[in-house]
Amino acid sequence: MSYIMGPEVVKYVCTCGLLKPISHLYFCRYCSQLRCSFCVCHEVDSNFCGKCSENIPSSEARVKKNRCGNCYVCPSCQQELSTRIASKGSVNPEDAKSTPKKMYYLSCQFCRWSSRDVGIPDQSTVTGGWPERENVHANRLQELVDMYKAIVLAQKQQKEKDKKKTERKISKLHDLTHPMLKSKPKEPEPATAKTDVEQLPDEMFTEPINLMEVTTIDQRLLQPEAQPATVDKLFPVHKRLSIKRSLRCRACEHNVSKPEYNPSSVKFKIQLFAYYHIPEIRIVTVEPLRAGRQCELIIKFTNPTQHQTTVTFLELKMDDSEVTDTEVTEVSESLEQTLSIQEKQPMSLTSLPLSPSQPSSLLSVSSRQPSITIKPRKINQEVNCDVEIPSSSFILPPRDDAAEYDDSGDMHNIQDDPKLVKWRKSNKAFIKLNVTPVVDLTLNSEVVCGFIMQHIYTNTIASKVENKEPQKYAHKVKVFLHLGQLVGSE
Amino acid sequence: MELRDINYNKSDYVETASGNKVCRQTVLCGSQNIILQGKVIVQSEAIIRGDLANVKTGRYCIISKEAVLRPPYKKFSKGVAFFPLTMGDHVYVGERSVVNAAIVGNYVYIGKNCVIGRRCTLKDCCVIEDNTVLAPETVVPPFARYGGSPGSHIGDLPECQADLMVDFTRSYYQHFQPTKLI
Repeated sequence: MSYIMGPEVVKYVCTCGLLKPISHLYFCRYCSQLRCSFCVCHEVDSNFCGKCSENIPSSEARVKKNRCGNCYVCPSCQQELSTRIASKGSVNPEDAKSTPKKMYYLSCQFCRWSSRDVGIPDQSTVTGGWPERENVHANRLQELVDMYKAIVLAQKQQKEKDKKKTERKISKLHDLTHPMLKSKPKEPEPATAKTDVEQLPDEMFTEPINLMEVTTIDQRLLQPEAQPATVDKLFPVHKRLSIKRSLRCRACEHNVSKPEYNPSSVKFKIQLFAYYHIPEIRIVTVEPLRAGRQCELIIKFTNPTQHQTTVTFLELKMDDSEVTDTEVTEVSESLEQTLSIQEKQPMSLTSLPLSPSQPSSLLSVSSRQPSITIKPRKINQEVNCDVEIPSSSFILPPRDDAAEYDDSGDMHNIQDDPKLVKWRKSNKAFIKLNVTPVVDLTLNSEVVCGFIMQHIYTNTIASKVENKEPQKYAHKVKVFLHLGQLVGSE
Repeated sequence: MELRDINYNKSDYVETASGNKVCRQTVLCGSQNIILQGKVIVQSEAIIRGDLANVKTGRYCIISKEAVLRPPYKKFSKGVAFFPLTMGDHVYVGERSVVNAAIVGNYVYIGKNCVIGRRCTLKDCCVIEDNTVLAPETVVPPFARYGGSPGSHIGDLPECQADLMVDFTRSYYQHFQPTKLI
């Protein structure tokens, strides 16, 4: 629910240091790191019109200035215009058999604007044929665009020439380029500023203003080339195109999200969303929060993967240097067992997030150099609540889609610490934590706590390619929980 | 946040073999034209106008209190005609919303107090925020968040919206339990 409408109460820390809800994060399987929309490359896959759901090739979209050729929006309220039929009387009224001719006009169903209001004649065909209005400055704009294109071309040629010169010294033949291409781009005459402007007409001062006839800023900016001042100059505007985009990890250049080509499809060819890989945390209940008093917090963990995982809580230290230190000690045990895997495949072991200074992560990036290294920024989140970190960890069974129809009960035979795990159901577990808001907290202030969740992530990429055992390693995510407002003190 | 249990009075609801839970205090006109695919919840004082045209919902749809599902009409030169209203799976319709759409796709969330205009098409995975008024014949593209009056595109949705809606409607159905008598 909270992902769809409500406030975002549980936030995960992306590798780059930004806080996002899990639904907005991606998980690159190749670097084993969290990525958010700010640390992936966005690429336009396809252009389509949101109204007619038609795919438009990028070259055509460029020609049409990223607008749909058939769909229009209302110049008055920016809603979509629909075509309406007006039957006109038959050509010769005496002949009763002749069918009335159908004429079409555009009309807005929300504000009742219609193409007849501004005197656009009705059309005889359903789609298109609507008069396109000429931009008075079109020639000048085209001139400028051409010039800049020529400059780009000239610079490109210059660069290539320089390259050739360095490669091989003088070879006269290479200089024989076409004279048209060699010529310097012709510059159009520059615009000149005028001091004398037309005087305002007298009516402007004498006539009372009729606000019903004056356009709003939004209406003017919808047509930047015309900027109509009165409503009788509003003309229908072509609808803007939407895009489908694919996302690419900047470090390893693998896709993390690639949608299907069909504009109305909601499926993906590649979908490496964190929601499918990282255990999801939800707040179930919180006891009333009082400053300095311990209260019970119940959170729910869901394992979205097909592999069993173990979740361990680690303390979150806000000071960056300390975090790195603790991680080194914590990881050392798990590092020993993973080192054997590292020998086989050194590049995929970057399981230690947010610690570029660590020696182990330096080892791991040796074979594949990332194209862009993202320096993690400092986490911009205050924590005003202590979490009692439980010493034991718990197991989350794999996701089973058939479990919903299974009434046999939960026969997992998992030995749980009853103090930690309240109860569990298929791949979900309800965990009890004790939290204590800081003593000097003022009433009604937002209480935020944080911890590091370490879970065993099973990476199946290598096993698919080389028929190896899927490798497992500990992946750590920093999580912040917004628990609500402080209701009182001790 | 995890959903809380939503309790209802067992005598107020009819549960069918396919898992539909329909409140007795609803107005279901032309019930032979209404198809609920299963695990659909229709809450109190909701109105479904099956007498105008067919109304078909998918699985795991939630029709909240006082919501109205009304097939759209179109004016012709010789009067009006009603068109069927089809709804996909995992659709949530908020309280006091009026849905006049022709097609509502899968994984659609419609907030409270919305008016979905005549013959609108809501594609898969879209969200209509609370208090939105969608103009008639609007097409809402996938992964769009619409809001305001007149409703306009105000944001995008995460790519895993489909799974979020599946999870939401499923857990809503699971938490929609009769009050236990003590």
